[in-house]
Amino acid sequence: MDFPQNMSMEDAFALAEAEAKLNAALQESKERFDKAEMPNRLNEDWRFGRPHVYAKEWAALFTHNENSFEQIRLENGGEAAARLTAEDDDLRQTEMLMPTIGSDALLALHLKSFGDGYALYIEEDTKEPIRLGYVTRSVCAPATFIMVAPGVKAEVDINYGCLESGAIFATCNVQVAEGAELRLRTHGHGESTGGRCMLITNIQNMGGKVAHLTSYEGLRWVREETVAEIYAAGSETKLFSANKLGGDAVLDQHTKQIHHVGGATSDLLYKNVLDDNATATFAGNIYVAPGAHNTDAYQSNRNLMLSEDATVNSLPGLEILADKVRCSHGSASGPMDEEQLFYLLSRGIPKYEAHQLIAEGFLHEAEEKFRS
Amino acid sequence: MSLVIKNLHARVKDGAPILNGINLEIPKGEVHAIMGPNGSGKSTLSKVLCGHPDYEVTAGSAELDGQDLFAMSVDERSRAGLFLAFQYPVEVPGVTNANFMRAALKARLPEGEEVDAVSFYKELRGKMKQLGMDPKFTSRAVNEGFSGGEKKRNDILQMMMLNPSYAILDETDSGLDVDALRIVSDGVNAMRAPFRSFLVITHYKRLLDYICPDVVHVLYQGQIVRTGGFELVDHIEQHGFDFLKTTEE
Repeated sequence: MDFPQNMSMEDAFALAEAEAKLNAALQESKERFDKAEMPNRLNEDWRFGRPHVYAKEWAALFTHNENSFEQIRLENGGEAAARLTAEDDDLRQTEMLMPTIGSDALLALHLKSFGDGYALYIEEDTKEPIRLGYVTRSVCAPATFIMVAPGVKAEVDINYGCLESGAIFATCNVQVAEGAELRLRTHGHGESTGGRCMLITNIQNMGGKVAHLTSYEGLRWVREETVAEIYAAGSETKLFSANKLGGDAVLDQHTKQIHHVGGATSDLLYKNVLDDNATATFAGNIYVAPGAHNTDAYQSNRNLMLSEDATVNSLPGLEILADKVRCSHGSASGPMDEEQLFYLLSRGIPKYEAHQLIAEGFLHEAEEKFRS
Repeated sequence: MSLVIKNLHARVKDGAPILNGINLEIPKGEVHAIMGPNGSGKSTLSKVLCGHPDYEVTAGSAELDGQDLFAMSVDERSRAGLFLAFQYPVEVPGVTNANFMRAALKARLPEGEEVDAVSFYKELRGKMKQLGMDPKFTSRAVNEGFSGGEKKRNDILQMMMLNPSYAILDETDSGLDVDALRIVSDGVNAMRAPFRSFLVITHYKRLLDYICPDVVHVLYQGQIVRTGGFELVDHIEQHGFDFLKTTEE
C-alpha cells in the first residue's frame, strides 16, 4: 500500500486499517457466496421463480461485472444524506445482517459490490420527499440506508432506472425509531422490456409508522424480497405494491411481516394488472412470534388479468405462534369485471381506454392507501 | 329522425327468449314510457339496445336516426347519441367521476383534441348543483360507496353532461326518495328538447307524474301489447296488470 508523503502516521494507520477491513469484508463476502446455496428449484422461497434461469443469470451478471452507474441522483437530501463508501464498515455489517427470502447467496454478491448508494440519517421532518435515483445501462448494485430519528416525519422516493438491458441489484435497509413516520416509495422502471431489477428490503420498525409502496414498469424481470420486522408495540407497518405488467414480464415478489413483539399492526396489499404473457408470483408470510399477543396483521394479493395467457402464482401464508392475535390473508385473481367494462363502454369510452381506466383504477387503491 | 325498433327478438345468450317481436318508434322530441309487470322484458330491451354482451338479438332491427344500431359496438352506440341510465349503476373503483366524465367527453372529440379543463369543471359543478350533488363527488370513485339514490343522480349527471339524442331511463325512480325523485325529474324535464327523445322505463306512476310522457306502452311477455296516453298509466295504477292476463285468456 502506498501512502501520500505528507500523511501522518496516525492517518496512515487508519487508512491501512480501513483497507484491511475492506479486504476482509470482501473475502468474507466471497466465502459467504461460496458457502451459501444458490437458489434452486427445491428452495421454497424460489417456488415458481425459475431460479435455474433467473438466479443463475443474476449470479453471472454480478460475478463478472463491476458497478457501472449511468447516474446517481440525490434531491432534497440536505444534511441528512451521506454518500456511501466501500470503507463504511458499520453499514456493511448492517447489510451483512440483512435477512433475505431465499437469496443469501445473491446478497453476498451484492456485498462484493458494496460502496455505492446513500445513507440517510433523517433527524428533521422532510418538507419535500428526499429523492434518490440510481440509473444504469449496464449493471449496478446500490445500497440505501434510511434511519429515521424518534418523532421525525420523513418521505423518501427511490427510483431505479434500467436503461436498455440494464440490471439493478439494490438493497434498502430501513430503521424507523419510536414515534417516527416514514413514507417510502420505490419505483423501478425500464425503457423497454429488457431491464431487470432485484430489490432486497429490510424494514425494522421500532415503534413508528412505516408505509412502503413499490411499483415496477417496463422491466423484463423483477425479484423483490421485503422483510418487515416489528420490534415494538404500537408499531404500524404498511406494505403496498402496484404494478402493471405486459409482454413477457416476470414479477417475483416475496414478503415477510415478522411480529417479534405484540401490540403492533401490519398490513399488506399487493396488486397487479397483467396483460399479454406476463407472470406475477406473490409469496407472503405473516409470522407472529411466541408471546407476540394482540398482533393485528393482514395480507392481501389481488390480480387483474387482462389476458388469458398471463399467469399468477399467489401464495399468501400465516405462521402464528401466539394467542390473542388477529391475522388474516386473502388472494384473488380474475378477469376484468364485464359489468364495469360495459358501464364505461356505454358512456362512449372506447374499449382500449376503458381497459386502461379500469386497470389504473384497480391499482389506485394501493396508491390511495399509501397516501392516507 | 327517430329510434325505430322492428320485430325485435332477443334472448339471454344461450338462454330462453325474452323479447318476442317488439315494434316501437320514438320520434325526436317525444317522451315514451314503458310499463309492465316484473319479467316482461323492460330492462332487457334497454340492455339489448345498448349492446350488453349477456344478450343476443335473434331477429329484427333497430335504427338510430337511420343507422343500424346493432352494427355498432357499445361505445359507438353511445357516441351516436344513445344513453342508458342504469337500473343498477355500476361501481368502478379507483376511477374518479371527473376522470370518467372527461374520458367519455374526450371520446366524442376529434382525435388529438383534449377536453378544456376549466369549462369542463365549470359545467360539471353547475350540473351537480342542479342535481343537488356534493361537489366532492367529482373526486370520488364512480358510484363507489354511493347510496342507491346518489348512484341514480350520478347517472342523470352523466346524461346531462353527455347530452344524448336518445336517453333510456331504466327504473331511474327506484331507490329515490321523494325529494330526489323531484330533483331528478326536474333534471330530465330540463333536457326535454325537439332534438332529443326519452324512453322511460318504470313501474310507478309517481315518476310519470313529474315527467308526463307523450306516449305510454305496456310491455308484456316480451311484446308491446298496449299503447296509449297517460290514461293507460292511470288504469295500471288503479287495476294493476291483471287486465293483461284477462285479455290473454
